[in-house]
Amino acid sequence: MFLSDFRKEFYEVIVAQRVLLLVASDVDALCACKILQALFQCDHVQYTLVPVSGWQELETAFLEHKDQFQYFVLINCGANVDLLEILQPEEDTFFFICDTHRPINVVNVYNETQIKLLVKQDDDFEIPAYDDIFRDEEEDEDDSGNESDRSEPSGKRKRFEEDIMERTMKRRQRREWESAMVMFDLAWIMSKDLNDMLWWAIVGLTDQWVQDKITQMKYVTDIGTLQRHVSRHNHRNEDEENSLSIDCMRIAFEYDLRLALYQHWSLFESLCNTCYTSASLKLWSVQGQKRLQEFFADMGLPLKQVKQKFNSMDISLKENLQEMIEESASKFGMKNLRVQTFSIHFGFKNKFLASDIVYATASLMENIEKDEPGADNFIKALDSLSRSNLDKLHQGLELAKKQLRATQQTVASCICTNLVISQGPFLYCYLMEGTPDVKLFSKPVSLCLLSKYLLKSFVCSTKNKRCKLLPLIVAAPMDVEQGTVIMVGIPPETESSDKKNFFGRAFEKAAESTNSRTLHNHFDMSIIELKMEDRSKFLDALISLLS
Amino acid sequence: MFGERAAELVRGLHRAADGHLPAFNEDGIRQVLEEMKALYEQNQADVNEAKSGRSDLIRAIKFCHCSLLRNRRCVVAYLYDRLLRIRALRWEYGSVLPNDLRFHMSSEETEWFNQYKKSLATYMRSLGGEEGLDLTQDMKPPKSLYIEVRCLKDHGEFEIDDGTTILLKKNSQHFLPRWKCEQLIRQGVLEHVLS
Repeated sequence: MFLSDFRKEFYEVIVAQRVLLLVASDVDALCACKILQALFQCDHVQYTLVPVSGWQELETAFLEHKDQFQYFVLINCGANVDLLEILQPEEDTFFFICDTHRPINVVNVYNETQIKLLVKQDDDFEIPAYDDIFRDEEEDEDDSGNESDRSEPSGKRKRFEEDIMERTMKRRQRREWESAMVMFDLAWIMSKDLNDMLWWAIVGLTDQWVQDKITQMKYVTDIGTLQRHVSRHNHRNEDEENSLSIDCMRIAFEYDLRLALYQHWSLFESLCNTCYTSASLKLWSVQGQKRLQEFFADMGLPLKQVKQKFNSMDISLKENLQEMIEESASKFGMKNLRVQTFSIHFGFKNKFLASDIVYATASLMENIEKDEPGADNFIKALDSLSRSNLDKLHQGLELAKKQLRATQQTVASCICTNLVISQGPFLYCYLMEGTPDVKLFSKPVSLCLLSKYLLKSFVCSTKNKRCKLLPLIVAAPMDVEQGTVIMVGIPPETESSDKKNFFGRAFEKAAESTNSRTLHNHFDMSIIELKMEDRSKFLDALISLLS
Repeated sequence: MFGERAAELVRGLHRAADGHLPAFNEDGIRQVLEEMKALYEQNQADVNEAKSGRSDLIRAIKFCHCSLLRNRRCVVAYLYDRLLRIRALRWEYGSVLPNDLRFHMSSEETEWFNQYKKSLATYMRSLGGEEGLDLTQDMKPPKSLYIEVRCLKDHGEFEIDDGTTILLKKNSQHFLPRWKCEQLIRQGVLEHVLS
């Protein structure tokens, strides 16, 4: 059921209990987890935190801990499947789910006792009425006629129900609040919000925007909401007399460039490796490179300066940089180069934009360098969100630079060698095993980012009008020894797209019909793993399903 | 030279890092005691001779007597310093010492340690009403009742005061009462997370 008063029905229920936190592996979940941890530490709620990266780990963690805990809080996992059926909990176990995955499973919505959804009901969810889906047992018995007829009417009714279930499953919601913002809102209602928690909420929101999971309009609306909180917490900086010491943390609103990590990199590298600029300027071609040089010439920035580290650039050039770039960019077709965001500032050296933190934390979480188990990386990424662990943050920034460069090079090679093929109802791209840096893309979030960049670049590069409106499926080798492949499906690139993704159901159906050996382990149902040999028949099934 | 070996004993102990208990130097003590015995017997003989007239032995007697006193002082200092270190071990490690430290103690020292444990326990029980007061907890004033800990290795189940058990698995984080965690932090199973 949906909770209306989070404070009374969620927080005050668990404040006297011991709680198990099951947290999914994405940056929004990490931020929500940090906020909730801070609240728990304030109120001395004994909790245990277990990171989970998929359904199997969720089940294992639940089985291990079900004897010791009665209250479970799930962050960014659990809303889109029938949780009670999968976990089979006892009667007195309660689940609080704060999840941005949609569609929410109807069973979770209508369960009155055990499952409580921490979701803001901003607008209609288009959930069909209870009576449409679930029928009481008595109705069945009353309506049945002869014994022989009994099977048939109930059969028809069952099919009717399944029909409705399917339609419901495909229904998607318009807007959702990110988990980190839900948690921050809870903290604010209880007047326990801090500047730190506000920063984590900002990072959570920016993460959803960077991963293209929310629309631009929703992003701007939420920035407005957070801006009110930011001015409430950070107004002391304007006052000359009572301003805070330079070491205190402050958040500021910025209308800054959309270039990834540009303040920690060189301007040149950042422009080459940000999806928006690279796709608009078509930097994979020779003409694109020329256009880039023209762009710099137009702004009057010498190449030598631009290739230096940003902090070492001439101050006279940095002064009006943002306005200069915006003017020149609109001449080259990049109208949205500046975006509203926030930055954090503590000490003399440390200034970070929210998107910097998102990239750093995401690369730490999917770090393949040392081949450590996922939980280790989760812990490192969680630590990097605290301000006292700057070295981890810097490590994350370096990893993020490598990742962005690898992504850009892979996209460029895919476009140049025409690896993106149209299969009819969708576009398809397969990264071969020998591709450089292909190991980086064996992780779900990295692969999703790569797919989005690839689709954007492809849309800019192709002349075929029909292809521009197709969704994209990307597959990459996951584990060479076991012969598995990870496959991701993303919705088409349209101006007013509301980011709804129906590939989850499509993958399930295709797997069923071809008996492929697939593993739907990720919380996001549009990411699956399957065996390399089953790839072609799976694709054929998908094509026939979607055309 | 007399007193060399005794000085060697003391120097050896002084070299050991602060608080660390090196192995009991059985040999060294035995040699010093033999030297003392030899000196003493020598002195006895000389004193008897001096009594019967030879007064030029008095200086030698004085010298040997000083050496004896010096040896005794060194041995006593050695033994006493070791006892102080063993006492500190009780406060740092608790009642059960790790094996390698136990082998470094002589049997008399082990006996002393047990007696010390007993009298400390009796004293602690006599404080604070019925249950007694554990003085070895919270050596520094604690900042909070509960601390955040991270599990470094699989430890299995762990029971806390109200009877509930927690499963300590690698990489899980917990928020637990401080006094339950201190032991495990010292053993290296848990790690205190400062944020």
